[in-house]
Amino acid sequence: MTQVITEQINMEALKKAIDDVFYNQIDSTILYYLQSCVNCKACEAACPFTPTSLKYSPVNKAEVARQLYRYRFTVWGRTIGRAIGGSKKYLKLDEVETMVDYVWHCTNCGACMFVCPMGIDSGALIDLLRQVAFKAGLVPSIYKEIEQLEVSGKYWEVKAFRDAWEGLISKMKSQLGKDIPLDKKSSEVLFYASIYEALVYPDVLVKVAKILDTLKVDWTFMSKPLGIRPPLALILGDKEGAAEVMKRILDYFTEMSPKYVMLTSGGFEYPALRYMMHEIFEIKPKYEVVHVTELLAKWYEMKRFTIESTDELITWHDPCQLGRRGGVFEAPRVLMRALSKNFKELPSHGVNSICCSRGGGGCGLPTMIEDMAKLIGITIDEKSKKFLDSTIVPLINAGKLKVDEINKVKASEVLTGCPVCIESISFAVNYYHANTQVKHIVDLLADRIKKV
Amino acid sequence: MQIPFGLYPVGLNLYPLALDLFIPTIFIFFAGASYRVTRYFVTYNKPFIVYTTQVRGITQGEKIKELFNTFANSSKVGIKRKPATTAVGLLMHIVLILIIFLLAQHMIFWAYYIPPYQILFPLAIPESSADGQLAFFRGSTPYTSTPYPFVHDIWGPLTIILNGQYLTYLLIIFLAIYLAHKFSVVVERLSIRAGDWWFFVLLFVDVVLGFLATSHIPNNVYWYDNLLGAHILVAEIIIATLPFTRGFHMFEFYLGKLREWYFMIMRRGMK
Repeated sequence: MTQVITEQINMEALKKAIDDVFYNQIDSTILYYLQSCVNCKACEAACPFTPTSLKYSPVNKAEVARQLYRYRFTVWGRTIGRAIGGSKKYLKLDEVETMVDYVWHCTNCGACMFVCPMGIDSGALIDLLRQVAFKAGLVPSIYKEIEQLEVSGKYWEVKAFRDAWEGLISKMKSQLGKDIPLDKKSSEVLFYASIYEALVYPDVLVKVAKILDTLKVDWTFMSKPLGIRPPLALILGDKEGAAEVMKRILDYFTEMSPKYVMLTSGGFEYPALRYMMHEIFEIKPKYEVVHVTELLAKWYEMKRFTIESTDELITWHDPCQLGRRGGVFEAPRVLMRALSKNFKELPSHGVNSICCSRGGGGCGLPTMIEDMAKLIGITIDEKSKKFLDSTIVPLINAGKLKVDEINKVKASEVLTGCPVCIESISFAVNYYHANTQVKHIVDLLADRIKKV
Repeated sequence: MQIPFGLYPVGLNLYPLALDLFIPTIFIFFAGASYRVTRYFVTYNKPFIVYTTQVRGITQGEKIKELFNTFANSSKVGIKRKPATTAVGLLMHIVLILIIFLLAQHMIFWAYYIPPYQILFPLAIPESSADGQLAFFRGSTPYTSTPYPFVHDIWGPLTIILNGQYLTYLLIIFLAIYLAHKFSVVVERLSIRAGDWWFFVLLFVDVVLGFLATSHIPNNVYWYDNLLGAHILVAEIIIATLPFTRGFHMFEFYLGKLREWYFMIMRRGMK
């Protein structure tokens, strides 16, 4: 995975990046993560990348961060630690390659934190390394170009994106048979979506609009998306870029001032827009950012509608960012139980759900990145292609775990709430010829909701 | 020779030296622990809590249930996905805790320095299984009365297996497995730290020394005093270095899990 980058390493920039990140980011939580690991390797059991190689286990990946920390913040690290290889001031060329390789083998799904006996979030430490890589210019160019398009706001100048968004709005209008409310202030629900969603599952978004219309909700949609899949910068380790994008989103949400901002994606946008954005700017919002399942479960329990139930054997995949990072576990299950009398849990679910191995850090399927590059007009050179292709291996390995679990429960449909999970698990299902379909929960709900 | 503030002359064997060094050891431990804890306070940033969610109502009962789940989850998942290493790890911890805090000889040592520790005396476990066997098979009771209960008072015949001797056998086996695991990590070229060797090797050596001393191997007073002294000295090295090594997890474990619970349940209202 690293060949794209190694030829371009600027060692001075790298050293500066290491110092910047490690001297500026240590707070008590990160300090705890750095110094309290007992190297028990319990986290191996949870990481979707461990089946690819033990070197990708969270503890092994995070060790690079710990070595850099020890040199800077411990007496042992500066003295004996250095002599016995336990700490490093900077990284050598081959160590940089390893570091870059590691950062693209972590989705920051958080599974390691819940199985760690010490509650250590190794993803947070790998994120530090990702920030180092970004500052040192060691991000694959294909990712960087897409991200910069979002940060700069120029994404809206891309014709393919405009077409996708305008096409989506037209489709909503034609399905509802009337105009849809755009950028309406003080509505009950601001229906939020990104360009990425408009590209990968426009039908799901149209169905959400249909549900809102059926339930006669006071809602509004965005005349213009707020990013490609904002804040993309966050998963590339670009903190400043992420803050810039989040500020734009925050301003829009504040101006619209709805009661709820409703997301269909349970990917990294969910914790970013619900929690991180407001934590960074220290603003207590007057609205609440929710996932579509949260709002629908609440309305269902309030008896605003009923759900037509079937006997179909269905299961739910917990998206890592919606569940472990966002805290949403119960709401989708309320809907799943209403959808079918035969709702079965996957053997690993809830906080222990096996990550689809993409999303927050894996940056989606290579085919999806390639398609997007084509849309934007970015040329994918041979090295980038090689890098993207190499990202398939962990997808296949992690996918096997997921498919085995799906086969165990014999589910005819796997429902979830994140576009990347749908893509990744569908890939694995096809790869292993499993007999199931992967869908967004709204896909099923839309036709089964009956207004009371 | 008398070391400053020492109570015993040093030079004949390691035992008086070990006893003299116990208080300095504790001082080093507290100094190190204070340093480690102070660093947390110095780097602490008060979190900005966005909101307590309106769409997820989590009850007090659920919060407590989740606290138990938070602590239990790693073991539950470990047993399912990594049964061998998890089982060895859990058993090793149980045995280690029992032997450090409940072995009768250790309890007397702790109670000497921390008198309220005496309250746990009824839970003391004996040095060997002979005591349990005598109580169970011969129905024998103590010949003379003592101010404290005898080691088999609560555990009864269980002391046939629950005793320092058998627990030490288990501990030696578990620690050997751990050390072998560390060697396998080296072979696989995965990350291993100096602290891993430090802690496990010292622990292993200490257990063996304690076992030899308690078992009177070799059987003479000179060796007994030296082995017991060495056992205490190695334990002191472990204690003094706890705040600087992985050993400190025996305290921080609770901090980490409570933080995880607070983050997910109190701040994010996980439901």
